[in-house]
Amino acid sequence: MAYSSKVIDHYENPRNVGSLPKDDVNVGTGLVGAPECGDVMKLQVKVNPDTGVIDDAKFKTFGCGSAIASSSLATEWLKGKTVDQALAIKNTEIVAELSLPPVKIHCSVLAEDAIKAAIADYKKKQAAANRAEQKQPQPTA
Amino acid sequence: MARSADFFSFLGLPRKLNLDMADLEQRYRALSRQFHPDYFYNAPAAERRASLEQSSYLNDAYRTLRDPIRRLEYLLTLEEGAAERGEGAPAKRDRGAGAPGVNKVPPALLEEVFALNEELDEVREMRAGGAPADQLKGRLERARLPIDAKRADHEAELQELSTRWDAALDRGAPDEERRAILQSLRERFLERNYIANLLAGIERELSL
Repeated sequence: MAYSSKVIDHYENPRNVGSLPKDDVNVGTGLVGAPECGDVMKLQVKVNPDTGVIDDAKFKTFGCGSAIASSSLATEWLKGKTVDQALAIKNTEIVAELSLPPVKIHCSVLAEDAIKAAIADYKKKQAAANRAEQKQPQPTA
Repeated sequence: MARSADFFSFLGLPRKLNLDMADLEQRYRALSRQFHPDYFYNAPAAERRASLEQSSYLNDAYRTLRDPIRRLEYLLTLEEGAAERGEGAPAKRDRGAGAPGVNKVPPALLEEVFALNEELDEVREMRAGGAPADQLKGRLERARLPIDAKRADHEAELQELSTRWDAALDRGAPDEERRAILQSLRERFLERNYIANLLAGIERELSL
């Protein structure tokens, strides 16, 4: 079975590889794995706190070409989307865009899971930060 | 051949994970003789075909049950299929990896796997940059230690769970208890893929 030209393009020129500061309160990190094949995928988003729009997205995936292409494509799509729009991304859209064969559908599922995990992490951090702010105001200088 | 048959029942065995290898082999040989196509060459076409089918099913069964990991994988699919459809042949989930709640990998393992993969990436970069081979080797050997230890723990856990599964079968433990053991077995089984991939990656780098 051959990879589609889009998969090969993302595999050979992956977009947005790298990482964002994990402890930044505006950064959400999703680390997910596909136990069937032993792939692991990290996807991060950086959200603009004023607009709620994803300014930046990075990924790093250790796995097959389809897993790399799925996460690379996901980071491209994420940029410029609001958090809610990001949550609406479906694995089937990734499958269609990359023409993934049935045996590689789980790679797209992994990418969708990674997006959801990253957003969940971002929301969790924001909630914790808001709580901390309410509890104790600015520390005195 | 009955369509509802599975490899265990075909060989007259309970669905256990610790099998007596000599007994398995004996059963295999006895059935091989029984179904061997040579004994059917004068028989009607339908019988000849049946003997061929049974022989090949028997060979699949023997090859699968002989290998502890393939045996476990088979048992998991078999039990999963039975649980999903009430009873019957093994089923394959198509969205398995993403379905929430199933096939979860402990986050700590994922982090460890990710960190080690990054380390392997660094080694590759160092090699590309012309770093001396023994420096790389030392690093790889150190990276390998925790994975080797993990694998050893892992095998011990699998063994322990297998023994518990067999004991649960023997005393006819309730479904719930059996499902819980199977779930743990499934998780350990899937974690193996990560450990195996990592070790293979390290081996590959070491062999360069």
